[in-house]
Amino acid sequence: MKNIIIFLLVLGLAIQPAAALGQAEDFEPEDMTTFLIQVPHGVEGNGLAVGGSNLSAYVFFESYYEGNMNVTVELDFPEGFVLQDKTVHSFLLRTEYDDWYRLVDFYVPADLPSGTYNITATALVEVGEKQHTIVRKTRLKVASKEEVAEEIEVSGLTVPSDEDGYGDPSHPASTLVIRETSPALKKLLKVTDLKIDREELTSTYIGVELSNRGDSKVPVVITYDILDIKTGEPVKAFKPAIMGMDADTFCYATLTLDPESSSLVSLPLYISENAMGGEYLLRVKVKLTGSDWVAVTKDQKITAISRKWGPIIITLVSTLLGLTATGFFFSRPEQIMDRFKTRNLVLIALFGTVSFAAINLPMTILWELSHAIFGPFSFLFTGLFHEVLLYMLIASLVVLIPKPGVVSLFMLVRFLLGGFITGSFTPITFITMSLSAILLEGLMYAAGITGKNPNPENRFRMGIVCGIADMASGYASFSVWMVLYRLFYSDWYIMANILIDGFLYTFIGAWFGISLGNRLKKVAE
Amino acid sequence: MIGARSIAEPTIKDTIIHRMDPRAKILILISTVFVAVTLDNPETMLLLFLIILSGFALARMPAIKLKTLAILLTLLIWGTIYSQALFYSQLPRTVIFTIISPDVPVLGWLTSGGLFVYAEGLHHGAIQGLRSASILSLGLLMCWTTDSRDMLNGLVGLKVPYSAAFMVVTAVRFLPIIITEVLTVVTVQRLRGFNPKRFGSGIVKTSLNILTPTLSNCVRRTGTLAVSIQSRAFRANPDRTYLKKLKFSEFDKAVVAVCIFAAISIVLIKLLYNMYTGGIYYSAGLRPVYALARGYL
Repeated sequence: MKNIIIFLLVLGLAIQPAAALGQAEDFEPEDMTTFLIQVPHGVEGNGLAVGGSNLSAYVFFESYYEGNMNVTVELDFPEGFVLQDKTVHSFLLRTEYDDWYRLVDFYVPADLPSGTYNITATALVEVGEKQHTIVRKTRLKVASKEEVAEEIEVSGLTVPSDEDGYGDPSHPASTLVIRETSPALKKLLKVTDLKIDREELTSTYIGVELSNRGDSKVPVVITYDILDIKTGEPVKAFKPAIMGMDADTFCYATLTLDPESSSLVSLPLYISENAMGGEYLLRVKVKLTGSDWVAVTKDQKITAISRKWGPIIITLVSTLLGLTATGFFFSRPEQIMDRFKTRNLVLIALFGTVSFAAINLPMTILWELSHAIFGPFSFLFTGLFHEVLLYMLIASLVVLIPKPGVVSLFMLVRFLLGGFITGSFTPITFITMSLSAILLEGLMYAAGITGKNPNPENRFRMGIVCGIADMASGYASFSVWMVLYRLFYSDWYIMANILIDGFLYTFIGAWFGISLGNRLKKVAE
Repeated sequence: MIGARSIAEPTIKDTIIHRMDPRAKILILISTVFVAVTLDNPETMLLLFLIILSGFALARMPAIKLKTLAILLTLLIWGTIYSQALFYSQLPRTVIFTIISPDVPVLGWLTSGGLFVYAEGLHHGAIQGLRSASILSLGLLMCWTTDSRDMLNGLVGLKVPYSAAFMVVTAVRFLPIIITEVLTVVTVQRLRGFNPKRFGSGIVKTSLNILTPTLSNCVRRTGTLAVSIQSRAFRANPDRTYLKKLKFSEFDKAVVAVCIFAAISIVLIKLLYNMYTGGIYYSAGLRPVYALARGYL
């Protein structure tokens, strides 16, 4: 038994090297390895480069052999190319599927003559005692800039596009919509079960179709800029910093163009909240990989539409309030009017006439004249009429008739009188006056100025109520001007108007209006 | 100096515009306001403005009215141009003049980086000024070609409560008296040394001192007028008869129908187009509508 075991052991030791020798003898280099070279990286076959490019060649070796494999890879670049890495690499692959790769940097000098250059990679494979040689050749075409520019073309630009670069007919071509980020609107949309798929900054995509008319594969990098159409300066609002990083880090795409083919890529386009509407120039740039030289540019005029939801919503709400109040008045006119004595109606009408004669008529000329002369600061002057005088009249009228509805009737008379005499039947007049009437009525009733036990003689309370109501209707008025008449106003201007005209002047007017009302009361008695 | 009365009073003539029913005029005005607010295309806005101006020629308006209109339109359009030149917030924009430099202490900060006159803003203001100009012109044409009583009859005809219409009648009737009263007070103020034409304190003091005497007279009149009206059975019966019956002519009906149809169509087309541009609703079948809105409206 002992002898049998010793025999088997000897036999095993004898057979193992023989088997190994037999496998080494069966080694087929092409079948049991993968050896490839891409020049430049990513291009299988004929690549393209221009002088002055820094490129990388990609070398890859993989073994399907179970045993050890010593490999020496040698790269042979034509004369003139500047290798920035060593040309010979030796490594050991130990198991099946073991692999090795390198990115070998090289520089194509700017003055290198145009032409096609052969690049050879030779792998010397040692398996056991045997050596095998595997050779891979590739070609790199070095072309002049003019040649490259002729071969590559941006054949199509789609703005906006979907994520795949295809145009979406449900969005107008060459148009970007700048949306104001409104938390209130988002909440409203959530309540109504409408989804907001849009990310905070991502607005849309740009679809770029590139064509390669040449016979070489071309690796390219595609970027874009959105420029001020007049100055040609990039507009940062369309390439904002994202998470503290420059947008160029995100707004690019890489692509390898096959010979005589077209490809479509999409680039993300981000819009910040402070972007302005208007006309812009979209410039798409195509660079060859490894070079900063822009091979091709394509310009397209685009329009950005500024959609501010805040003023739109305020305009809609104000209009609806005005229409509702008008509808309410038309639905029960007798009930409303019968609450006022004939004497009250006459007094309201006469106050309306006075307001028209003392405010509207002179302001027909002075308002426009003041705007034409003083420009943005005219409100400091016109406010004396429109706010101080008007609210003096309103406050004094309320002192004389402290009933709910008196302000609304006064506004109605002013509106109709203005329409008949000066033709000022405008939507803005309607919306502003109706909103102002609703707010004044509501606040005066809530503050106890009008109602069952009216107390209209507190100057401070009257001033605050009128000031708040006028600030709100003033802001709504600006929104209506912006939405319906497409006019622009700076935030500081709106703020100054609301604070000075809307509150300060109104407060002063209401304050003095109480004194005026008390004096008139004595006349009435 | 254009007198207040020349602005306020209508010129009654026998023209096609004057003969129109006041209700028709009000409906045309409302329809046109919708159209003017909806339009964005400068050429179409100019066309609308010219059509409205042609109404003044048809109505054979006197020179004083045309002069008033010209002054008002010039000031209105210039005011819009000026404000938009300052506040224009679109690109491209070219600064042609600096009013407040961003470096100016306090004001530079207050105006969020200065105040400039932009060339593109001037252009935008001129276009947008047309919108206001169209509405104002048509409003003036209506009120200058319609007697106030007819206009109020028209309002009652359009279901405005009689009591409200009565208030406006009263206000209109008293307007010349109040204007005369205001002018008297101004004269008295002048005699006391105020100069109401001087900007600043002159206007302010005059305006404030107009109110008390004028309103005192109003309050005194109120009692007398109320007794007089009530003695004539004001609000005694729900139904009233009118001296002049309003009647739509065939021409009125046609013009009103065209205006209302145009207004509804234009508003709907623009609404659909804005829903398309806003990414809210799109239909391939509506492409001609989008093209129409983009090209002409």
